[in-house]
Amino acid sequence: MGNLFKQKALENNINIHIYHTSKFKTINFYLFVHQELKKEIATKTALLPFVLKRGSQNFPTQRSMNLFLENLYGTSTDSDILKRGEVHVLEFYMEIPNPKFIGEENLIEEGLKVFQDVVQNPLTENGSFKKEYVDQEKEILKRNIESLYNDKFNYVIERCIQEMCEGEPFSIYKYGSVEDLQTIDSNNLYSYYNECITTCPMDLFILGDIDENKIEKLIKEMFFIQRKDIKKINTEFSEKIVEKPKYVEEKQDVNQGKLALGFRTNTKYGNSDYYALAVYNSILGGGPYSKLFQNVREKESLAYYAFSKLEKNKGLMLISSGIEFSKKDKALDIIGKQVEDMEKGNISAYEFDSAVKSLVNAFKEAADSPSAIIQSRLDGIINGVDETTDEIVDKLQKVTKDDVVNVAQKIKLDTIFFLNKID
Amino acid sequence: MDAYLGERLVSKNLKDGLKVFVVPKMDYNKVFAMYSTHYGSVDNEFVVPDTGEQIKVPEGIAHFLEHKMFDMEYGNVFDKFSELGASTNAFTSYNYTTYLFSSTSKFEENLKLLLEFVETPYFTKESVEKERGIIAQELEMYEDEPDWQLLLNLLKCLYHKHPVRIDIGGTLESIQKIDVDTLYKCYNTFYHPSNMVLFVSGCIQPETVFEIVEKSRQAKASPLKAEIKRIYPDEPPTIYKPSHTTYLDTAEPLFLMGFKDIDVGYDGRPLLKKEIATDILLEILLGRSSKSYEKLYEEGLIDDRFSFNYEGQKDYGFCTIGGETPDPERLHKELEQIISDSLSKGISSDDFERVKKKHIGEFIQGFNSLEFISSAFVAYHHKNVNIFDYLNILEEISFEDVTKRLNTFFNLSRHAVSVVMLKESMK
Repeated sequence: MGNLFKQKALENNINIHIYHTSKFKTINFYLFVHQELKKEIATKTALLPFVLKRGSQNFPTQRSMNLFLENLYGTSTDSDILKRGEVHVLEFYMEIPNPKFIGEENLIEEGLKVFQDVVQNPLTENGSFKKEYVDQEKEILKRNIESLYNDKFNYVIERCIQEMCEGEPFSIYKYGSVEDLQTIDSNNLYSYYNECITTCPMDLFILGDIDENKIEKLIKEMFFIQRKDIKKINTEFSEKIVEKPKYVEEKQDVNQGKLALGFRTNTKYGNSDYYALAVYNSILGGGPYSKLFQNVREKESLAYYAFSKLEKNKGLMLISSGIEFSKKDKALDIIGKQVEDMEKGNISAYEFDSAVKSLVNAFKEAADSPSAIIQSRLDGIINGVDETTDEIVDKLQKVTKDDVVNVAQKIKLDTIFFLNKID
Repeated sequence: MDAYLGERLVSKNLKDGLKVFVVPKMDYNKVFAMYSTHYGSVDNEFVVPDTGEQIKVPEGIAHFLEHKMFDMEYGNVFDKFSELGASTNAFTSYNYTTYLFSSTSKFEENLKLLLEFVETPYFTKESVEKERGIIAQELEMYEDEPDWQLLLNLLKCLYHKHPVRIDIGGTLESIQKIDVDTLYKCYNTFYHPSNMVLFVSGCIQPETVFEIVEKSRQAKASPLKAEIKRIYPDEPPTIYKPSHTTYLDTAEPLFLMGFKDIDVGYDGRPLLKKEIATDILLEILLGRSSKSYEKLYEEGLIDDRFSFNYEGQKDYGFCTIGGETPDPERLHKELEQIISDSLSKGISSDDFERVKKKHIGEFIQGFNSLEFISSAFVAYHHKNVNIFDYLNILEEISFEDVTKRLNTFFNLSRHAVSVVMLKESMK
């Protein structure tokens, strides 16, 4: 067992993960702050990274921060919010060109000045966040939440999840809700920030061509914030028994109909049958060899796209397809038939082998990208899994057709969402 | 500074005119290969080399052809790549069509397959008929994408006649006119080796690539050298119309401003130099470190989805500036003001030096990704530039170059705006 990172906990309970490699041209820093996904705090959590990146004590405006970073040869930094099952994660990242290509030694140290300041030294006035920044970022987050409506592809998937997981934390949109935004002000957000920064689990990743000892020392000096009584984030989920699938239709002024079908897989990352589920999903809708692509798109010309994907931290599977309005029932029939074939084990050797190979390829490819390496380690931390790419490939190659048929019996259709046109 | 960033570019020119380039990165797990023809949606009128016949083909045919290339007599080539554990894809742009695969095993078989399927046209009446249904769905999908509509409408404002004003995929009507015979004519004209490039990067040695490519050519007779004659309409230097507004069912208005470049007609290093100078200029005027960006952001007119881009080709060029905004009209006025202020006051050399550093770093960052290296290499190859010269050309660019570009390119009489408004505001 063992991943690529050397792990260590700092005295203030920040876990640092260092991977020295000369494979890449940049040095990558990612800091993740884990929080529960809960309606009461979700919108605050979502707003935080956007307010923090507006300004810190030493770089009080975004402009001053950018002027500084551009002089460091386009060192880039950003922050965002992730949803991993029912864990809400604040993400802060920085990417610095390897100083050896530039000929400037202190790039890393200088870049980290901004990085740490944004996270632990925010700009305050009268004991709270700068009001102007909070108000502006609230407005922008509101527009951001509303703009999902423009992106019909993701809109139907998100709406399907909301309907399927009604009453469960997972139904919360990663950017929160417009309604809850109204209750946030610079005071209560700043108190919330202090609570998060001192008690939420934190993982700091460093990946690149670095001197491990030097970087560790630097990180210890820079990430000085006092943290104790770190809370534990629950990552368990309760299984849901589906009695009868729910059907929801919404009408908008659109040119293409879109279907999303939500399933409970009752298996999540970390379970012993997870890789059988991964193969199941790949056969059903993971690529051009898959049943959905071959039957919905190629044989019937019903759709431009038809695929399935897993939410591996929550145990869900989503199928989505863009279709002609009049062909909804036919598409549902054909999709239903594919799912049934999976349960019955009507899987060809070509479908099975292609699915496994495609997954192996995807996992090996991930090792060529700094962000993919780090994101996959983050999933491991959240689910208590520690494995290398070779171990994953080995597990995938050991999955049998029987394993896939077994996992198929656990998968239950929960919700159908259809985006229709206005009559 | 090491201009090649520790990377090696190895090339070979084949007898039939094909150019092959390899960037080995042996510590990567993956091989990424692109096989690309200098043929895109704008190449709608041309002379058929064998007959000398001048033809105009239906809009969207380059894209339709791309879809049909995956058909082989034995079936679908997707299946073969799947069996080899690779993923494959293709895309058509205004100026070129690219086929690719990405794989972490069986590199040689995958490479052979890529060459084989792109070099084997196989179109039947039935398969062309079937594809119409799929492409119609694709076009409908784009009709529901406000960002894409926004750009298409801007190009329709900037250009009178140039085919860049037409959707890459064509229209629901134009794809009805596509048939087997015309597909072959387009294929035989533009998929000639001398009009193509193969770029391979990742975990593979150049010698291996060259050997596979050369073997694949021995099997067939070397095609005759064909001169491709493309015909583009004469495009006036003016814009067609100043603005276009579409009403869509969206959550918030979208705004896009474009300037038409009339300093066109050349490719190669001068084109890349012009592109970089324009990128630097846009960054100085509207980038994240500019006073203008800060002001627009604080006024709530833009957010961090605001972006700008310059697209430079031999025959045309334009920039786009915009994003989501609650007030397109006010954003338009502010941007006009920013441009005219910069025209009268000029730009600062500190900004120029800093933005140049930023570009150096961003280019280096890009080299982490085989997709970036390959896409950039292929796109610039079709413009007669070697992208490995980027850092050298960037070094050459002076403050005077950028100032000059400011005064020639940003002419407010050559700008247009495209807006997407919310449908209910129409009522």
